[in-house]
Amino acid sequence: MGQGREGMEYDLKAMDLEIKAIEERTKKLRELGNGFVAVERNADSILTFVYLLKRNISDLIE
Amino acid sequence: MKEEKKYWNPAMETLPRERLVEIELRRFREHLRWSQENSPFYKKKFRGIEPEDIRTLEDLAKVPLTEKDELREAQVGKEPYLYGDLLAVPPERLSVYHQTSGTTGKPVYVPDTYESWQWTVEVWCYILYAAGFRPTDRVFLPFVYNVYIAFWQGHYAAEKLGCEIVPGGGLETKARIQKMMEVKATGLMNTPTYGLHMLEVAKEMGIDPKRDLTIKRMICAGEPMPEPTRLRLEEGWGADVFDHLGGTEPGGWAGMCSQKKGMHVIEPHFLLEMIDLETMSKPISPGVKGVAVITSFCRRPIPLIRFNLKDIMMVRDDPCACGRTSIRVDQVGGRVDDLRKIRGVFFSPSVVEEVIRGKFPQVVEFETILTQEGIMPVLTLRVEMEPSLAESQQKERCKVIREQLKIRTNLTFEIESVKPGGLPRYTLKSARFKDATKK
Repeated sequence: MGQGREGMEYDLKAMDLEIKAIEERTKKLRELGNGFVAVERNADSILTFVYLLKRNISDLIE
Repeated sequence: MKEEKKYWNPAMETLPRERLVEIELRRFREHLRWSQENSPFYKKKFRGIEPEDIRTLEDLAKVPLTEKDELREAQVGKEPYLYGDLLAVPPERLSVYHQTSGTTGKPVYVPDTYESWQWTVEVWCYILYAAGFRPTDRVFLPFVYNVYIAFWQGHYAAEKLGCEIVPGGGLETKARIQKMMEVKATGLMNTPTYGLHMLEVAKEMGIDPKRDLTIKRMICAGEPMPEPTRLRLEEGWGADVFDHLGGTEPGGWAGMCSQKKGMHVIEPHFLLEMIDLETMSKPISPGVKGVAVITSFCRRPIPLIRFNLKDIMMVRDDPCACGRTSIRVDQVGGRVDDLRKIRGVFFSPSVVEEVIRGKFPQVVEFETILTQEGIMPVLTLRVEMEPSLAESQQKERCKVIREQLKIRTNLTFEIESVKPGGLPRYTLKSARFKDATKK
């Protein structure tokens, strides 16, 4: 668990698991939409924000 | 009632320092390896350096500094066009182009992929959130659609944060002021110079921004903002004014919190080092002026590793009351490029701004010119004062300015009074120091 100074507890590990699950499912979606540009590009956008979540959250886990 | 949140990322912004350093060192190793493997420039520059050897902050010195001139040289005349040997991603992945202003030479071209651009926007979210920008804000952006990076990230970060953006780029200054009044804008982003210029124009229009406008917070970018300038903006606008540190190559890397005492480095997205001004290598302690060196971890198209910012800064070591654990820096002495040794004394033009903005509210605009008479360097300060000031009062002020500058710099200035409107006004970066001794 991580704790912010605002007194709230954050379950970073649980968040990390969800982030990884979104990543996996988005990659799967991208594969399913191979050649379907609207799917590929939007899946790439989702993966960009997954990358930011990993930098913001997953990287903090020891 | 829901409690007001203080942090964009409460977990990261309050991590113990040792954890921040640990993450930064890990990211440094990863980024160094990435750069060696993907950028021909860094492959050559860092040949023989083993990322796994970087285990402590002291180990960073094993990696040579990166200078802006090297970035330029790596781009000139090399393929792929524009970015040359610096580029570390396939060109088809690029989605955004920006460039430096080129004030110190040929511009550096800085591209982003969608991913790296979104990361630069993300770090700006930290900056805006610390400055109090919230979804309830209507933010006015008076910047023009162009190739320079200033405010683009601010625009997208404010949007991501949930603010309502009012793009005021296509308007001239009077129309911008009218528009801010019409829409009741609460936030504003501009250069300090333009913030002061708008105050002057508003006054001509019979508008008092403090009374007639609704700006609550302003974030400044694009040029250094000495504390007296920040305070003058706060007084004129009746708003909280925040500074930030950033550049085209690294992105926005530090911002001011509600305490307004220095700027928090956005750790561990960036790693800041401070090195000795004389040797340009030895690390220095907090409280001592030095040169800032930055590594930005997620801008992969053109990696930036131990980049010499050439900005003179000082790290604070007292804990910040806001609770953030990242280190804080003050921009204390302008840029290394602007430093001149005059009659044996180091002179930084930023001192002139500190003196003028801090002690002489009657000065509307100013510029410092360095010339040479024979072998003697001559510093001339040209000042433009409030038109309401009588000639005798202006002469008296000039005398006091000369005395104050002598006390602060140990140098004697020639003071020249200029008629109203006689000095240039700037909307982006100002150029208030001119070295006429340079051919």
